[in-house]
Amino acid sequence: MEPEQPSPDTEQESLHEEPHLPPPTLWPIGFAIGIVVVLVGLVINPELISSIGGAIAIVFGLLWARDATAELRGHPIVVEPERRETREAGEGMTAPPADQQGVALPHVPETAVTRSRFLEGATLGLGGVIGGVITVPVAGFMVLPGFLSQKQHKVDLGPLEKFTQGQWYVATFVVDPTQGEVSRRTAFIRNNGPAADPKTKKSVPSFSIISNHCVHLGCPVQANGPTGSILGMPTVIEHTKNGRVKLDPVVPAGYGCPCHGGQYDVEGNRVAGPPVRALDRYAFEIDNGRLILLSIYSVSHVVGTGAQAKIYKYKDAGPGEHVDGPEQWLYPLNPPHH
Amino acid sequence: MAITRKPTKAQLRRQKMEELVMYPLDWLEERSGLVGGVRYFLFRNVPADINWMQTLGSAALTAFLVQAITGVILAMYYDPSAATDPATGKPVAWESIVNITDHLFMGWLVRGMHKWGASVFIILMFLHMGRVFLFGAYKYPRELNWIIGVLILVMGMMEGFTGYLLPWDQTAYWASVVGINLNGTAPFLGPWLAQFLRGGQEIGGETLTRFYSLHMLVIPGAIIALITLHLYLVIRLGVTSPPWSKDAAGREPVDEPSSARSGLTRPVPHAEPGGRQ
Amino acid sequence: MAAVPKEKPSRLDENRANFARYKEDVKKRGKPFYPYAMFHDTIMSLVVVCTIVGLAVIWKWSAFGPHHDPTHKGLLGPEVDPPADPGTTSFVPRPDWYFYFLFYLLRIFKWPESVFLGTVGVPTIALMLLIGLPFLDRRRERRISARPVAMVAAVLTIVSMGVLTWKGATAKEALASEVKADIPRWTSQENLPPAAHAGALLFATAGCTACHTYAGSGGSNLGAPDLTDIGSRNLGIQFQINHLKCPSCVNPGSPMPKFASLGDSRLHQLAVFLEASKGTH
Repeated sequence: MEPEQPSPDTEQESLHEEPHLPPPTLWPIGFAIGIVVVLVGLVINPELISSIGGAIAIVFGLLWARDATAELRGHPIVVEPERRETREAGEGMTAPPADQQGVALPHVPETAVTRSRFLEGATLGLGGVIGGVITVPVAGFMVLPGFLSQKQHKVDLGPLEKFTQGQWYVATFVVDPTQGEVSRRTAFIRNNGPAADPKTKKSVPSFSIISNHCVHLGCPVQANGPTGSILGMPTVIEHTKNGRVKLDPVVPAGYGCPCHGGQYDVEGNRVAGPPVRALDRYAFEIDNGRLILLSIYSVSHVVGTGAQAKIYKYKDAGPGEHVDGPEQWLYPLNPPHH
Repeated sequence: MAITRKPTKAQLRRQKMEELVMYPLDWLEERSGLVGGVRYFLFRNVPADINWMQTLGSAALTAFLVQAITGVILAMYYDPSAATDPATGKPVAWESIVNITDHLFMGWLVRGMHKWGASVFIILMFLHMGRVFLFGAYKYPRELNWIIGVLILVMGMMEGFTGYLLPWDQTAYWASVVGINLNGTAPFLGPWLAQFLRGGQEIGGETLTRFYSLHMLVIPGAIIALITLHLYLVIRLGVTSPPWSKDAAGREPVDEPSSARSGLTRPVPHAEPGGRQ
Repeated sequence: MAAVPKEKPSRLDENRANFARYKEDVKKRGKPFYPYAMFHDTIMSLVVVCTIVGLAVIWKWSAFGPHHDPTHKGLLGPEVDPPADPGTTSFVPRPDWYFYFLFYLLRIFKWPESVFLGTVGVPTIALMLLIGLPFLDRRRERRISARPVAMVAAVLTIVSMGVLTWKGATAKEALASEVKADIPRWTSQENLPPAAHAGALLFATAGCTACHTYAGSGGSNLGAPDLTDIGSRNLGIQFQINHLKCPSCVNPGSPMPKFASLGDSRLHQLAVFLEASKGTH
């Protein structure tokens, strides 16, 4: 433990060759805690807490002083050397001598689970668990909300009297008032007059309600025909609980899409261009004499017109998806829709 | 033997200045090794006959940096909300863009730079790709770099697509509707991918925030990572000489039996018979 | 000189030798990146930044004025478009210009069965070819004159993408509000009498220009003829009305939809307009 050279500091001071080191001791920590408690007590509760702190500080301070002065009082000081001493190999070691061939380790069979293998497996396994715990909920959060909680919205379009029989209207309405203008949609609506319900045989109002989203890639389809201002007919604006509903009279000879040249006839059947099926339609109900739109469904084609039209219905499919024919198998599974 | 003269005052001063400047660099170098890396990048050799066409890559990088900086600044004022502002009846995102363009100091410049910088970035990437193709610089050992470059191009166009929606005006909205539905027509997984991008069945407020996240964080992160790899490979593998150069680096000697399909062979005057260079 | 018979080196060995030679050359004869190459890069970057700033400035100044008026376009387009309206029936969607080639591809693949080819098929194949280029072309040859296949492929690619982009940019649609704005020009070019004005309005808004061209407006679709001088054939008002009511009755096999729903008085107005269209002067 002797220093190789006397350090400049102790050159003049020490008369002996032992290092002038403070003895190792943890009492200063207790002393510091005591001081802290005193100060805290000054803020919170001077009588009680500061006294406790003072007691702690005094006790630990005395212990510290006792250790610090041990040298002066003649007690030997033991300081752990900074460098580890080498130990000679002797009894108790089982490694084979180095001049023999092979690895100087005890023999372990191949299949044994050694400590290193266990640690490898545990690290990778736990790492995988941590990764999973972090990633799976987060990924679920990223992906799932877009697929869940798809609500059906009912759209109140106003009293039936506003829809003159036989007249097409371009109707724009807000589907979900809580979302606001972002959910504004357009449909081409015609009141076909009363028709016999095929099931109940009763006379019910019949409407053709065609969505204006092109079934090729979703562009806004326009009516091929003059609208209210040219026809000299007024645009009707209503306020229902769905917000502002605009009804613009139109005389369409068909519908056309401005994006890639798709053309439809008046019932929404594809006449020309890349659309893969007929235009989608809205289901509807009559509630208290008011027209209520329900959910959208897809249509492969329509035979006939107006109230007598036979509509071949399918579940709502996205733009560009075939619903019949061999190409429907390209889209076997659609995300859940309301 | 050289006669060493006593250094002049000016030389001593210069020496002192150099030491002063080099001191922090040496400190950094000893503790990190970074300065050496930068020195290697700056002072490495490149072929002596490189061409102006070979600046297109770094030009594209500059355009990307312009986009990144203007994008960060725009993000401080843009609000990705499709909700309607009750006071004006207009969408909030659209209004924030109008605010940037009309009312904020130099907002029109930053927004304009970002919008046109996107087009310039894509044009430069295509030109750079064409130049690399022309030079045959996608061949061994630079195949991986080419692939990374194509990925950067695709990411750049995706960045343009996601950014296009953000102003939330008519052009933006409908172009995104069609673009998402385009993905939706892919067989089997298409409808799922489209719904994931839309954040729902119809394009709406969730779509805008989703595209904003993709545009600001995901895709730029991918682009930065890919650009870093791309530059690392360029530095490691070196830059090619133009193929028409008379003095191209790596020119093969004429007498190679495979010279029919080897690169860059030109009749070398005074070539050693039967010898390699 | 007799070649010493030896085992032919593999392609990989030749590649490696070539690259080693390249590295030697660069080490011996190359120039430091800084300042030589970096100077070129800096100049080019300056050009890029100035171009971007210049475009931004031109955009702003050419759209100066009531630029919230969407019809005020300026040199580089309006600065502000009207806000998104999901319920519109009068907007023509277009992507950003660098997607025009894909956009036009969609107009080429007109048949419903082929839609997914245009949307994902062709672009995916093109991307796979692009990524796989280094594996399709493994030759070491870099001289342009000795790479005919590569050069031809490059020229074809560039030309076709350029043509697709340009066609996508110029693809016109019969948007009613845009076509209506052409009516004054039609009136002056075709010398239309006032009686034909009502018919012109109907012609512009009924979607006729989706398939017919007329005096420079509209687009050609489904083989529909140009109607600029339909009146000079003197087919007569009654013929026009009968044809409009049921085109496939008059012209068997015609894909033109029936316009009978417009009503007799409007059909008469249209017929007057068509008969008055004797051609531009």
